[in-house]
Amino acid sequence: MFSTLLEQVINGIVTGSVYAIVAVGMTMIFGVLRAINFAHGEYYMLGTFGAWFAIDFLGLSYELSIVVAILATMVVAYVVGQLVMRRMVGAPAESGVLATLGIALILQNSIIFTFGGGYKFFAGGYIEPVEILGFSLAQQRILILVVCLLVFVGLELMVTYSRLGKAMRAVSQNVECCGVVGIDVSSVVLKTFVLGAALAALSGVLTAPVNVTVYGGMGEIITFKTLPIIIMGGLGNVRGTFFAAMILGIAESLVATYVGLQYRDTVGFATLILMLMWRPYGLFSTQARF
Amino acid sequence: MTQHLPILQIKNLSKSYGAVKAVNDVSIHINRGEIAGLIGPNGSGKSTFFDCSTGLAKPDAGTVILDGQDITGWSLNRIAREGRMLRSFQKTVTFKALDVEENLVIAGQMFTFPSIAATFGLGKLSRQRITGLRERARELIRMAGLWDVKHMPAGNLSGGQQKLIQFASMLMPEPKLILLDEPMAGINPKIIERVVDTIRYANKSLGVSFLVIEHNIDVVTSICERVMVLDQGSKLAEGLPHDIIQDQRVREAYLGG
Amino acid sequence: MSLTETGQQTRRLDLRIPLAIVLITVALAAPFIGSRYVTHSLIIALIFMLPAHGLNLLVGYTGLLSLAQAAFFGIGAYAAGLMAVHFGTPFYLNLIAAGLICGALAIPLGIPALRLRATSFVMCTLGFVIIGQAISKNWISLTRGDMGLSGIPKPYFELGPLSFTVSGTTNFYYLALAIVVIFTLLAWAIVRSPAGRNMVAIRENETLAESLGVPTWHYKLIVFMMSAVFAGVGGCVYAYYLTVVSPLTFQMYYSTTMLIIVLGGGAGMISGTVVGSLLFVGLTEALRVAPELRMIAYGFCLLVLVFWFKNGFAPLINRFWNAVGGAK
Repeated sequence: MFSTLLEQVINGIVTGSVYAIVAVGMTMIFGVLRAINFAHGEYYMLGTFGAWFAIDFLGLSYELSIVVAILATMVVAYVVGQLVMRRMVGAPAESGVLATLGIALILQNSIIFTFGGGYKFFAGGYIEPVEILGFSLAQQRILILVVCLLVFVGLELMVTYSRLGKAMRAVSQNVECCGVVGIDVSSVVLKTFVLGAALAALSGVLTAPVNVTVYGGMGEIITFKTLPIIIMGGLGNVRGTFFAAMILGIAESLVATYVGLQYRDTVGFATLILMLMWRPYGLFSTQARF
Repeated sequence: MTQHLPILQIKNLSKSYGAVKAVNDVSIHINRGEIAGLIGPNGSGKSTFFDCSTGLAKPDAGTVILDGQDITGWSLNRIAREGRMLRSFQKTVTFKALDVEENLVIAGQMFTFPSIAATFGLGKLSRQRITGLRERARELIRMAGLWDVKHMPAGNLSGGQQKLIQFASMLMPEPKLILLDEPMAGINPKIIERVVDTIRYANKSLGVSFLVIEHNIDVVTSICERVMVLDQGSKLAEGLPHDIIQDQRVREAYLGG
Repeated sequence: MSLTETGQQTRRLDLRIPLAIVLITVALAAPFIGSRYVTHSLIIALIFMLPAHGLNLLVGYTGLLSLAQAAFFGIGAYAAGLMAVHFGTPFYLNLIAAGLICGALAIPLGIPALRLRATSFVMCTLGFVIIGQAISKNWISLTRGDMGLSGIPKPYFELGPLSFTVSGTTNFYYLALAIVVIFTLLAWAIVRSPAGRNMVAIRENETLAESLGVPTWHYKLIVFMMSAVFAGVGGCVYAYYLTVVSPLTFQMYYSTTMLIIVLGGGAGMISGTVVGSLLFVGLTEALRVAPELRMIAYGFCLLVLVFWFKNGFAPLINRFWNAVGGAK
């Protein structure tokens, strides 16, 4: 009984890791742009599709497909960033919502139109299980956990020590002053955006072997789950997002096992709605900034 | 019935932001038909006091009594609509996309229509009310010298003209009391004349009481009958304009002595 | 009529009334002019015009961006469908019920939601759609889950001694047309009223409106309710047209479609929503555009609208109408 619970919690942590990598990108983008990227899940989808395409059509190995997928997504993100996201600096909230919704529609449906909307089988990945603490866990899941930790440690280091990281913090805190001290806000926004999209793609590629099925509409659900996470973690708050993602992952796992699988995907948004209605300021931040 | 009572009484108003006590137990009153002034150097708590009295911020303590009625805790729109006490904003605001006449009609609507439901009506009564509002709006437009531009969008007009629109808007609902937040800030001398004339006209002919909150002492002494001084959140002095100018404490406060 | 500088009068034809007559005639004769598929496309355009009018009141006139229309659309569809299937009540009763139920539900949903600022409000309204879909999928005893409610009968009217059933695409077109005309006039009446002026004031500058006595929070809630009613009525007609209601009725895609109609057609203009629906929904339906291509087009439209054509087609419509009326 206990081992089952532990197993579900571990699964939840793995799921939480997947969400965390995606969510941290979205929250960083919000930090510098003050806009919610409603298309964020599509970059997760693009990462997955990129890898699938590389394996099935180009015959590449899984490892190589990861690189190809992330690079391809970064190219797309760069284009989107140049044409759209940069222009959103200082724009009203509604513009951001509409523009990113538009991008989501374009990305999602371009893929469906090109490859068809049905489920595709993802062939790569380390799906061999390993025995840990009395139950078996696919190697891929451990990989996801490890990568998540590396990502967050890396981000902490980057934000604290690197030039881009410091510029990101500056833009997050006070956009007007940045121009005065010579920080190119537009460029920081673009770089952050591409980074965020790359992280989403990374999450997608790592999760694909576990999900097994790949389809054009998979990005939408990810967006719907990431939104509650970044709000509950506090917008722009990297550490808060990590914990919120873990909580959601574990909650989903427990709900799926003990309440019913059909309710799993609603946990995130249901919690978000309840929180917005009763505590509009997030669990970890003290003032509404959006 | 309450003719002898002050039109506005604010008693023991206090407001803190964290550890800083922005307004500390301030009491003032404004007499019926008076043009009163409230001055004080930067950081004296004028703006906080102002926002707390008009429903934009919640005071920690104190009562606000308007024409004998306790309006403490009322919302901004209720104070305007039921209390007939209006306030201006430091930054000149108008409905920029709407023309001058529309700006004024909107300003007068909630006072002419008895309820929200009534504003949805399209019948004869509703149309009559709107016609009445338009007539009144045109009178005020003529008086403010904006007749030629009355159908232009407010956003296309100069800062001074928008200030006049703001003024005229506040006169639409037949207010008892108007609080002006630094009305002379950033406008050129020609328009200042007009603004002063409008205030005097509203006061003498329409019976509107005024509280003018200003940083600039000269402006205040030229139109106010009585002046109150705030410094560091407390009331420092009160009296006739020329007495206040000569008051040693006031001079020190302004000079930072 | 326009005056040239020398004072001579030059009369240019005012063709507005003749144009209006032509448009009305075309609208009335449409099923006989076009093919059955064209009629179908017009019906879809008409159905979506209803929630779009509601969204226009919210976005175009009061300045509140909301994605909740799809939620009330779905609730209206299910309400009408359930009543038709379980109680056998006549069409107009179900229509009114759908509208009222949505209006009533808008209150407990709107009160907490309206406290939120712009982006949170959008997400909360999106949440309504998602939760709506989840409820319709899982409350199987009521909604039959993914299988959906089928067998909604044709619209049945019972008015005193007169009772008739609307069957066939052509007759349904006239039913939809009649309903949409009524509700378009209703929307027009709302925006022409003093309340409509207050709504515009709230959109332009909420704090200024408040300082002039406008109870902004009350108006926002009322408009939220009204737009829910419009969406619910649209959902009812949709349910009757498809004769099936399923969880797929709660789709964010519908919210996006309604946004395109309102913003593309011209927010803040009743005619903008009419034109928008005919253009973005009717035309794409008639051309049998593949759904993915349609959505890609919608995506580009949104981008174009955000950056270049903030007012959608509204200025063009205005200019066209004035030109027809004889202005230069």
